[in-house]
Amino acid sequence: MKLLVCIKQVPDMESRFKPDASGIWYNEADLAFRMNEYDEYAVEQAVQLREKLGEGSELTVLSIGPDRVVEAIKKALAMGCDNAVHVQDTAASAKDPWQIASIIAGYAKDKSFDVIFTGMQSQDRGSAQVGVTVAELLGVACTTTIVGFAYDNGVITAKRELEGGIKGAVTLNTPALVTCQLGLNVPRYPTLPNIMKAKKKEITAIPAADLTTSESLAATTSFHPPAKKGGGIVLEGDVGELVDKVIAILKDKTAVLR
Amino acid sequence: MFLDLTEEQKLIQGTARDFAKAELEPVAAALDQSDDRAPLMANLKKLAELGFMGLNVKEQYGGTEAGVVAFSLAITEIARACASTAVTLSVNNMVCEVIQAVGNEEQKVKYIPKICSGEYAAGGFGLTEPGAGSDPSGMGTQAVKDGDYFVINGSKVFITSAPYAGVFVVWAVTDKDAPKGKGISCFLIEGGTPGLIIGKEEKKMGQHASATNELIFDNCRVPASAMMGKLNDGFRIAVAELTGGRIGIGSLALGVGLAAMDYATKYSTERVQFGQKISNFQALQWMIADGYTELEASRLLLMSAAWRKENGKSFAKEASMAKLFATESANRACYSAMQMLGGYGYTQDYPIERFTRDARITAIYEGTSEIQRLIISREILRNFS
Ligand SMILES: Cc1cc2nc3c(=O)[nH]c(=O)nc-3n(C[C@H](O)[C@H](O)[C@H](O)COP(=O)(O)OP(=O)(O)OC[C@H]3O[C@@H](n4cnc5c(N)ncnc54)[C@H](O)[C@@H]3O)c2cc1C
Repeated sequence: MKLLVCIKQVPDMESRFKPDASGIWYNEADLAFRMNEYDEYAVEQAVQLREKLGEGSELTVLSIGPDRVVEAIKKALAMGCDNAVHVQDTAASAKDPWQIASIIAGYAKDKSFDVIFTGMQSQDRGSAQVGVTVAELLGVACTTTIVGFAYDNGVITAKRELEGGIKGAVTLNTPALVTCQLGLNVPRYPTLPNIMKAKKKEITAIPAADLTTSESLAATTSFHPPAKKGGGIVLEGDVGELVDKVIAILKDKTAVLR
Repeated sequence: MFLDLTEEQKLIQGTARDFAKAELEPVAAALDQSDDRAPLMANLKKLAELGFMGLNVKEQYGGTEAGVVAFSLAITEIARACASTAVTLSVNNMVCEVIQAVGNEEQKVKYIPKICSGEYAAGGFGLTEPGAGSDPSGMGTQAVKDGDYFVINGSKVFITSAPYAGVFVVWAVTDKDAPKGKGISCFLIEGGTPGLIIGKEEKKMGQHASATNELIFDNCRVPASAMMGKLNDGFRIAVAELTGGRIGIGSLALGVGLAAMDYATKYSTERVQFGQKISNFQALQWMIADGYTELEASRLLLMSAAWRKENGKSFAKEASMAKLFATESANRACYSAMQMLGGYGYTQDYPIERFTRDARITAIYEGTSEIQRLIISREILRNFS
């Protein structure tokens, strides 16, 4: 069986973000990058499936971006992926989800992957469109925001997270694509020996332009911090009064006391 | 000149950081306060499984073969959360490296994998004695040949991890008439060997979770094959290995110093006095500037010493400079951090008092600051005479 997991390298979300010179994305200088959190769940699930399938199965990790994304690729290799594809693109952050999905589909279209894993969304752009668009472009079944995954004999049984704590169960025949959500698993730490061994695994470099020439459909036009809001509400008075005021606000503005 | 880390080094740093945050930070304060070492033991096992016990040890002996820079980075990240765990790691790595450097094949195969895999929670480094601290060549513990055995008598003090160490590297006098430092040999002695008694545990100021005990040798018989390296050639080994260990202790100190400054700096942006954040006061800004400047200088000294060792260059002077500066900077950083928190910093509700206690010993063990200055000046003066 052939498995693919798609990962993105994103800035540490505790970073201070500021707009870049063009004002349409964040300035990358001085940011520390790491693997997108949801993609860690995707890698973990893919590696678990790869381990279950054993010999004869193959797990490829793919990432699009400049040279720095090789670090995230190596992490995925250290976690247990067999080989990697680095789609070289110094302008990946300027591409919209459609273009990114087109690149992935362009790579995957003649490879007959049985299962493709992606994160539910990226932590920086947060479109949640790439996974589903890849599935659509490849014409394979797809389910999103999974928090449970089982595979048996060509059939995936996935548990999906719906609104308000409700879960749904889905079965789909392979080939299929799933997008992974928090709660699916606990990603393993890459062990140090595996980090060192990952050096020897193959990383194939492909220029992005070889995989797609599609134009952007939804271009980002501006990146800016939200306008400064007022400093919230400061309540005053003795404790009894304060409690009454808080309860009134909770009743009025939220659902907790209804 | 290239000052960036390799991808592998960054990933190792990342694993150490993520593990420390998720598994060590939540238990560090409780470990400091309690006698229950179960959480420490569990974490040591996990760290061994992740490959942290033999960072600079060959793969064939169960090591990670990741190098000295990676070792330094890992110790710093672990120490940011728990100095006791970090010192155990540092000593375990040092013990593995001594055995790798001077043990014979049989000794290497027998002991290094057990420390690397976590089968042994720890390895012990038995050098210091009541009468021989800064001057270990003045030791009195003796090993007397008796047929195919050596009989060891004497005692060691301040031995890290002694109650749970599976094996000890122990130095003893084998020729008491030889000139100072020339009649000492090195032995590998398993925990539980009859005649090896784990003595009282010291009640310390900090690094509570890491045990520090007396070791007593009472007619302790070990086979002649327990000797590591050549007869009467042990002191040179001790000196050489402590040099590498100093990179570990400097890295540990850096981690504690950074943890203290990070905590205090964040606090200063939240605490309000005189109607404003205390970080607005220049007095605190200068503490922040000085603290981080010294820690950054420490980091660069450590990286340089580690890189030199990794690349087979001389590193004794650099390792001593790094240890001296990092440990003293970390102590100053903790002092400033407590000052920035005011009275709260002095209470156990905040981690600064633990950091302060944990940092203090780094300027003492594995060669006091005075001994580091002695080594540094000796190395420098050699070029002037
Ligand atoms: C928590 C802890 C863990 C330890 N772990 C280990 C371990 O695992 N294995 C091990 O073997 N040892 C260990 N030690 C021992 C440690 O390395 C020694 O305590 C240290 O080397 C200093 O020796 P000392 O305590 O005898 O001090 P002393 O040597 O008595 O020093 C006292 C003072 O005199 C100064 N001094 C001594 N000689 C000179 C000189 N020539 N010039 C200028 N100043 C000098 C010292 O700097 C110091 O200020 C540990 C100690 C502690 C506290």
